[in-house]
Amino acid sequence: MNREAKVISKNVDVFYGNKQALFDINLEIFKNEVTALIGPSGCGKSTFLRCINRMNDVIDICKISGEIEIDGFNIYKQGVDVVRLREKVGMVFQKPNPFPKSIYDNIAYGPNIHGIAQNKQELDEIVENSLKKAALWNEVKDRLNEPGTGLSGGQQQRLCIARAISINPEIILMDEPCSALDPIATAKIEELIDSLKSSYTIVIVTHSMAQAARVSQRTGFFHLGKLIEMDETDKIFKNPNNKMTQDYITGRFG
Amino acid sequence: MSDDHIVKSYDEELHIINDAIVQMGSLTESLLEDSMNAITKMDKDSVSKIVESDKKINKFRASIDEQIMTLLVKRSPVAIDLRLAISTLKISQDLERIGDLAKGNAKKILPLPEDDLPPEMLNSMRRLGEAVQKQIKLSLDSYLERSTEKAIQVVKDDEQVNDLTKISIKEVLDFLAKDKKNLEFATNLLFVSKNLERAGDHITRIAENVYYLISGDYPKKNK
Repeated sequence: MNREAKVISKNVDVFYGNKQALFDINLEIFKNEVTALIGPSGCGKSTFLRCINRMNDVIDICKISGEIEIDGFNIYKQGVDVVRLREKVGMVFQKPNPFPKSIYDNIAYGPNIHGIAQNKQELDEIVENSLKKAALWNEVKDRLNEPGTGLSGGQQQRLCIARAISINPEIILMDEPCSALDPIATAKIEELIDSLKSSYTIVIVTHSMAQAARVSQRTGFFHLGKLIEMDETDKIFKNPNNKMTQDYITGRFG
Repeated sequence: MSDDHIVKSYDEELHIINDAIVQMGSLTESLLEDSMNAITKMDKDSVSKIVESDKKINKFRASIDEQIMTLLVKRSPVAIDLRLAISTLKISQDLERIGDLAKGNAKKILPLPEDDLPPEMLNSMRRLGEAVQKQIKLSLDSYLERSTEKAIQVVKDDEQVNDLTKISIKEVLDFLAKDKKNLEFATNLLFVSKNLERAGDHITRIAENVYYLISGDYPKKNK
């Protein structure tokens, strides 16, 4: 298989004040694949995820060193346009967080502020396409003007994914996107992740081992701020190299 | 870091499965021994006891299948636990087949004459049986001790079993060549030799699965 690294992390250290949250993270995330990040709470996996679109910048005491390259370009280089970066790297959070606006406006908001749509017709197309890609169109096409917050949890999460897609990102970061959802809604999101990977590079943080095994091609295991092991998901869940990885995924971690 | 699961009942379930394989293995080992004794001593009285032992082995197989199924449903095992579940399932299947073959062999002696059989032929069969018995012991030890070295040795020993099978078959054919009326007996004895070889193949598979359980890979064939 010909794999192209979309994101490369080089010697990334992250500090929250005096506390070091990530230690020398070196890894590659491949294009058009789903990469899962697993590890116990506080292991640094979400911190790392947020490094990829510089979401940690909004935290005053957070300091980052090292490099994260996207398509070979260091996003922590001085003068990088963070707004442009986040246009390229979308994010979906644990709890669905639609804007208190209509379903239509939830999707149209991004393309509007980023100036992606030239006119109403184009905007309509973007809204429709984004909702279709997020497998939500059929459920909401007749009520686009109703508030997004009126949808079910699973639908809201797909709305958030549609919103992330609407500005044509190349990478989608998902921070435990299914932890607030029931199994059916979870299955729909997982099916969606599967279908999205042909167009996007996806990084997902999850507490569910089974979900990591189901949706990802590669899995990275973090512990106490360090990347312990990263490998093919199949390898990680059948025969991991590291004892600590095995102890964690089999529920032996003491 | 400990080797125990956070959920204690998970460990208990794995221990129960492990113990069941050990018990089933030791029962199969005894059955194989009894079956060989019955053949080499033409002890027809022991056959019914052998048939009963085989039933016990079959029950173990059914119970292990059930326990593995429950484990998969309840625990969604991964890594070493997943490999234990899968390899145990296969090992119990092979043990059951070995039991069937040993029982089948014992039953094959029922129509045979109690003496009159050429001692060379019985000796070659005894040697084959001993090789298979040695092989199953080593195979079960490899499981118990989680030893890849012993598992590899079992795989290597299979060649010897195959060679001894050929010798044993030749002896049976010589016996047949001596007198056409030996045909029925000889056919039965051919089955005995062939069944022992097949038992050896199952034992080899057990060792291969033990190797997989430990290492996550199958032993490379040296061919």
